[in-house]
Amino acid sequence: MQFDLTILGPYLGFLGQGAVLTAVICLLSLAGAVVLGMLVAIARTSQTAWIRRLAFIYVDVFRNIPFIVQLFFFYYGLPEIGIYIDAITTGVIALSIAGGAYASDAIRSGILAIDNGILEAAEVSGLSKRITFTRIVLPIALRTSVRPLGSVLINMILTSSILSTITVNELTGQAKIVASDTFRPFEVYAVLLVVYAALTWLVSIGISHLHKHLNRDLASEAA
Amino acid sequence: MRYSDFTTYDLLLLAQGLGVTIGLFLVTSLIGLVIGVLWGVVRFYRIPLLTPLITFIAELLKNSPVLVQLFLVFFGFPAFFHLNVTPVQAAVVTLSANTAAFIYVIAVSAIESVGREQIDAARAFGLSRWQILRHVIAPQAAAFSIGPLTALLVNQLQVTSLISVIGVMDLAKIGATLNLRTLKPFIVWAVVGLLYYLTAKLIAAVGARYETRLRRFSEFRGL
Amino acid sequence: MLKVENVKKAFGAATVLDGVNLTVSPGEVVSILGSSGSGKSTLIRCINGLEKLNGGRIAIDDFDVAKPKELAEARKRSATVFQLFNLYPHMTTLQNIALAPVEVLKRPRAEVEQEARALLASVGLSDKVDAYPAHLSGGQRQRVGICRALAMKPRYLLLDEVTSALDPEMTAEVLAILAKLAREGTTMLFVTHEVEFARQISNRIVFLDKGVLLVDLPTEEFFAASGGLAQPRIAQFLSKMKKD
Ligand SMILES: Nc1ncnc2c1ncn2[C@@H]1O[C@H](COP(=O)(O)OP(=O)(O)OP(=O)(O)O)[C@@H](O)[C@H]1O
Ligand SMILES: [Mg+2]
Repeated sequence: MQFDLTILGPYLGFLGQGAVLTAVICLLSLAGAVVLGMLVAIARTSQTAWIRRLAFIYVDVFRNIPFIVQLFFFYYGLPEIGIYIDAITTGVIALSIAGGAYASDAIRSGILAIDNGILEAAEVSGLSKRITFTRIVLPIALRTSVRPLGSVLINMILTSSILSTITVNELTGQAKIVASDTFRPFEVYAVLLVVYAALTWLVSIGISHLHKHLNRDLASEAA
Repeated sequence: MRYSDFTTYDLLLLAQGLGVTIGLFLVTSLIGLVIGVLWGVVRFYRIPLLTPLITFIAELLKNSPVLVQLFLVFFGFPAFFHLNVTPVQAAVVTLSANTAAFIYVIAVSAIESVGREQIDAARAFGLSRWQILRHVIAPQAAAFSIGPLTALLVNQLQVTSLISVIGVMDLAKIGATLNLRTLKPFIVWAVVGLLYYLTAKLIAAVGARYETRLRRFSEFRGL
Repeated sequence: MLKVENVKKAFGAATVLDGVNLTVSPGEVVSILGSSGSGKSTLIRCINGLEKLNGGRIAIDDFDVAKPKELAEARKRSATVFQLFNLYPHMTTLQNIALAPVEVLKRPRAEVEQEARALLASVGLSDKVDAYPAHLSGGQRQRVGICRALAMKPRYLLLDEVTSALDPEMTAEVLAILAKLAREGTTMLFVTHEVEFARQISNRIVFLDKGVLLVDLPTEEFFAASGGLAQPRIAQFLSKMKKD
């Protein structure tokens, strides 16, 4: 058999729709993961032991259970307790929760890396804990964790392909349809593989630039 | 199939699924280890053509979804090469190759972790490149890579769950079967998740033990 | 009045401050001298509430720093300039200065920013309003640090070795600003190794030795042969400082 890519021509728009859905899902999930990661990072640096413990358990559990199991837990489980949401929303929730476990690590090390003297300056000037956190700790921690959060995003792009197993027609889901329509699964999946690799490569370049841009003024504080 | 309650037979099913998961995990990890290290050695010898080719393939495998890789092998290979590929064969090929790509990265950085001056010194004593690899680099590289290796294996265990999508009767697939039959998603996926979690912890514990042992070994040699 | 009464502070088994008494009245400039490890920084950190006391009492205008509710009030009345500046790295000079007045004193932003610009102009940094700390020299950073403290309109300015991370040229530019503040009547409690400078601007000088406040004298008496210099520890300290 010939390796013939022209058969994909008519399906480019169709696959493009899938790619757009993948992008939307990943961006929403990234936002969810960062918010969740921030909360968990706060919890993990909390003074109260049981809050720290709870946050640790969350991270530990969601990092050591396969994503597909987590996804099915929500997809089949939520209707059981009367929560009926569509597959895409379920997917975004599951990706956010799984991604949050990784994002919290990135943000937490960003928080721990902040120079103690800066926090003392904030404290003696009378800034409340809340203001210190929202105006000083978080902005610095988010900037310094751009790269690790970028890895979370890249992982999320790859993991989002699993949403095709719960009927979400993102990029991989659409490709499955094209493969069975054309009877050319080899071409379809080979191209898909390269497309994902190119996509994550582009994203990683973007992250590098974002990191440089956000940290351009953030060189070391010491004289 | 009419839905029905859990039976004691289900425990046997779960055990069987766990067995398949662990079995495939061990086999593909071993194959991946051998291939990945071989690729690392090829790079160490700077073999022309082969080295960039391997690097390219490893990058593709690392930066594309394992699910797509599975589809390519399971659906694409039979259609294109007119082969017969069973789900288990597809699983073994895909997981081994994917693991190899990540092992390759660990192997390369482990080899590079051994200081240039050590290699120069060994060369000055007239050791061949193979002798240097075998006696100077290998022991130190092993001690260096056990940590990242453990993390990788914990991750690869979770990746095995994807083979359920192409019909391998692993733990996740048994979960899906029980889920359909009993309609008790919370219990089913919690139990399946717990089994994965415990297996992951077991791998991490074994890795930690080897790490302390190898560290002691390499420290002793350092005296 | 800033009052330090019989303050004790220990880290584990090591006693760092041992019954320190000190009063600073509005308008005074008081310098704290003492050799390395004598507890000068610790005393400042006790006053601004960064360290908990093991005994005694510190009150700023009668607000006890050991009581959480009063500490907030005490902190509004004092401000600290740090040795290593501790500027917020992700904020511009202007933002660094305006943050606390807006958030803590709840003053209108426009007004605060206008004052901040005036402060920056007064230390010769008009053109650095929108610069980030990383793009400033050490001396410039410390001048911003001083502006940040002054923007709180503190009744008491606490300074801990604010020039010891700077080279001589930068030190001179910062000391000039402090001298000007002293002339304008700013109340300052001032830890320094710059003995000559302390002599020029201080009303009083206190000397800490191994956590004990050895003397608390008007500047002239401190440097008089019959005053501070009569103490062997102080004579030794001063002659060593001269050599350096
Ligand atoms: N957080 C801490 N934990 C334990 N010991 C401390 C701590 N902070 C200070 N010390 C000790 O307390 C003593 C006094 O320290 P302090 O920093 O107050 O001295 P100093 O007079 O400011 O010295 P220098 O002139 O070097 O700045 C030192 O022996 C120091 O090691
Ligand atoms: Mg000090």
